[in-house]
Amino acid sequence: MTSRMRGSGAAPGIVTITLVAGTGMVAVVTTSLGLMPLYGEPVLSTDGWRAAAPDLALGIRESLLIAVPATLLSAVVGLLLAGLVLGGGGASRPVRVACLVVLAVPHVVGATAVGQLLSDGGLGARLAGSDGSWPPMVGGPWPAATVLELAWKESAFVALLVVAAVGPGHRQRMEVAAGLGARPWQRATRVLVPTALPAVGAASLVTLVYALGSYEVAALLGRAAPEPLPVLAFRLFGSIELTDRPAAAAAAVTGSVLALVAASPALAALPRLRLLAGDPRGHA
Amino acid sequence: MSGRRGPARLGRGALGALALLWLALPLLPVVVWAFSDRWAFPAVAPQDWGIGGWGAAADAGLPQALLRSLGLGLAVAAVATPLGLMAGRSLGWRLTRWPRLVVAMLLLPLLLPPVAVSMGLDVVLIRLGLPELLAVVLLLVVVAVPYCAYTSAAAYARTPPALEEQARALGASARQARLRVVLPAMRGSIVVAALLAFLVGWSDYVVTLLVGGGRLVTGPVLLGSAAAGSGNDAAVAVTALATVTPPVLLVLLVLGLGRTRRSTATPVGEAS
Amino acid sequence: MTPRPRTVAAAALAVGALLITSCAAPEPGGTMAAERPWDEVVEDAQGQTVDLWMYGGDERGNAYVDDVLAPAVAALGVTLRRVPVADTREAVQRVLAERAGGEQDGSVDLVWVNGDNFATGQEAAAWLCGWSDDLPAMAGVDPADPLVAEDFGVPVEGCEAPWHKAQFTLVYDAARVPDPPTTVNGLLDWAEDNPGRFTYPAPPDFTGSAFVRQALYAVSGDREVPAAFDDGALDELAPPLWERLRKLAPSLWREGRTYPRDQVALDRLYADGQVDLTMTYGPATLTGLVDDGTFPATTRVLVPEDGTIGNASFLAVPAGSPDQAGAMVVVDLALSPEQQAAKADPATWGQFTVLDTDRLDPADARLFEQLPGSDIVPAYDVLARDARPELSSDWVSPLDEGWRREVLGRR
Repeated sequence: MTSRMRGSGAAPGIVTITLVAGTGMVAVVTTSLGLMPLYGEPVLSTDGWRAAAPDLALGIRESLLIAVPATLLSAVVGLLLAGLVLGGGGASRPVRVACLVVLAVPHVVGATAVGQLLSDGGLGARLAGSDGSWPPMVGGPWPAATVLELAWKESAFVALLVVAAVGPGHRQRMEVAAGLGARPWQRATRVLVPTALPAVGAASLVTLVYALGSYEVAALLGRAAPEPLPVLAFRLFGSIELTDRPAAAAAAVTGSVLALVAASPALAALPRLRLLAGDPRGHA
Repeated sequence: MSGRRGPARLGRGALGALALLWLALPLLPVVVWAFSDRWAFPAVAPQDWGIGGWGAAADAGLPQALLRSLGLGLAVAAVATPLGLMAGRSLGWRLTRWPRLVVAMLLLPLLLPPVAVSMGLDVVLIRLGLPELLAVVLLLVVVAVPYCAYTSAAAYARTPPALEEQARALGASARQARLRVVLPAMRGSIVVAALLAFLVGWSDYVVTLLVGGGRLVTGPVLLGSAAAGSGNDAAVAVTALATVTPPVLLVLLVLGLGRTRRSTATPVGEAS
Repeated sequence: MTPRPRTVAAAALAVGALLITSCAAPEPGGTMAAERPWDEVVEDAQGQTVDLWMYGGDERGNAYVDDVLAPAVAALGVTLRRVPVADTREAVQRVLAERAGGEQDGSVDLVWVNGDNFATGQEAAAWLCGWSDDLPAMAGVDPADPLVAEDFGVPVEGCEAPWHKAQFTLVYDAARVPDPPTTVNGLLDWAEDNPGRFTYPAPPDFTGSAFVRQALYAVSGDREVPAAFDDGALDELAPPLWERLRKLAPSLWREGRTYPRDQVALDRLYADGQVDLTMTYGPATLTGLVDDGTFPATTRVLVPEDGTIGNASFLAVPAGSPDQAGAMVVVDLALSPEQQAAKADPATWGQFTVLDTDRLDPADARLFEQLPGSDIVPAYDVLARDARPELSSDWVSPLDEGWRREVLGRR
């Protein structure tokens, strides 16, 4: 725009982020190489990586096992919820308010709540009868409770993001489609879904990356082994064994790389992210 | 027409009920547990109702933990909102020569697992002797700035830069133009951005636990340790309820404010 | 405006400088306490505030320290402050971190510690040494007692003072288990005969880890398990243990597909009636749990013929503590017969004493005889009959890791 309107701009925020996140990541990499030991002399070595190696493969698998189903489920449910909100009618406002409430719930509260619902001593098990037929969802062989908690919270996020992106102009689009003779089902699948897809994609990406890095939900609802990478990293970091600290850092680095790899499609699409670069012709 | 709409409305009503069930169900056991004194397995309803859990939670330090959460949330909001606003301005009004770089840098705190960054910072900061509270606030601000930046970028995109130019043309200084003309026009978005930053500060668990060294006990930290090991389900439920109520009330408040403002909205600069 | 490349470079240099200073190595070498007459120590301690870092999850322990020990210490002119931690490891990490930073004014004055935590501190030379043997109250402790001379196989050598003794205890519900097993091997067999009625917490939980060591003793039978860690012994004795636990797994609760995360979770399963046995290193809590109705009234303690593992826990003073004299005064008081007897009362805390009543004055020894008994928890000498010593802390990690890989990971 005009050169008169400079000002400090993005610099303070960017510098803070670079400093803090940069220091943290570099420190974590050097710790994994043995240069910041719990005690004793720093010695450059790959012992930490080698000690963590068997757990890293399991950790990657468990992290993906949690993140991918959670993302898919939250995308589908979120789209349905958005459809309800956009569709007008009596359900629209209560669902929107409920989505906002769920969005405000901290994940640690959500994990506690889902635990009290789905655990072996929880409400679900009691309703199902105490004959032991309730499947082990908390701490069971499949991270069912973890996936459900993440999907639950993130579906509200997806729904609200879709409503914000698609909302303006939604009614006109629906009316045009109806005028062209589309049935309600066709209007939903041929107009709403394609229009909402970019927003669903963006929200799902955020969900995926968040789920890969999430600690508290898996820690409270998951089983003791195998652990997703953030839980593994946290547990090893709290240990006082000398070799566990570099192993913890190795797990943290692996988790970060996994998140970056998962987000790479979006990073590659940056040139096309007009929404964020403030293009008024965008979906805002 | 009405014949076709009837079953459709019924169907949508059923879907709506299902949706509300999906959204509300997990919070139900917490509410029941918070007001039960004894609810032994396998009873479906508590054997004894009561508020014993509230006393137990208070003994465990719940009120102090909530105050710390409040302080943390306010601190993060106070620092992250201005930083986010400035970044959002340069994005929304295209004042930057490298928009992609700015967007990428703003994405970074959202991508990196908080465990990783906290772990690295913890090792560094303990050696430097930085006070824990400061370190936690710093890291949470870094996490919150992207949310504030994106929210305000969208708002700035909807606000014509001409507004500030006109104010300058009328003789206002740069600061006056920004503070008294542009920002008030974006009030709604600023509130939302501050709210998001506050939520980041209030709800955080890993950063507070790792970087705080276990000494900074906020609501989520207290809940995490109670849920993992106390065995007193009622106290855990009370802690959960207390930790979730302020953010929910705040969000509903902002939503309510947003709704009243929308009814009196002017075309320029309204946000949600 | 976005930051110029020069600003970014400056920031990067700052980051680098930050990290290089953090890589600094800590000073090696332990710290021996200066030899001083006790009166001088007491005088130095006047007005000091001692921060005792201890596990905060035991309400009765917290109450003992806050309501019994702290006032008694205050009468001597020292203020005792209890700092709760979720796990002693946190306290040790704090001590190590402050030591690495060369901190002279540490925030930890006293730690309730044993086993792995003590051993790591010793490796890092983080504990103050050469003081505990000089405490007046140590006269009541038998120096030849192996439980007190070595902490999980690591020689104490005056670097910490004993505080409690503990005995690993198996607990069962007599109403549901009319014919309890009499040995630990018998327990494993019983679990196979009664599928779904037994389980144990997953290591590295402290209690679960202790159970695995207990099972190692049982499975090894006549073959001796050396207290000191030995790779050869691990290779010889661990595989049969893993095989036995793997064979046991399908008969456990939830078919061994999942284990309770910690002792609290196992206690809850026991209280809910989903399993018939639980286990603990702190049997003193049982009386209270039965009294308030959490555990069934028919709860009893299993005393196996082959003995269970016993250990002692200690109080250690970090080398970087600024209130060392005050800490020593606190420990001396905690070791006194009056405090040990008060602590051993099941109504207060119920922790077994480390004192040898034969070495005490008759008046003091009577304090212990007058302690109320409990219907549920036998007296310490019954519980500790044929007690096995804890293995060296070097065993703990390989066993915990081995369990995760061989038992949990392979089914």
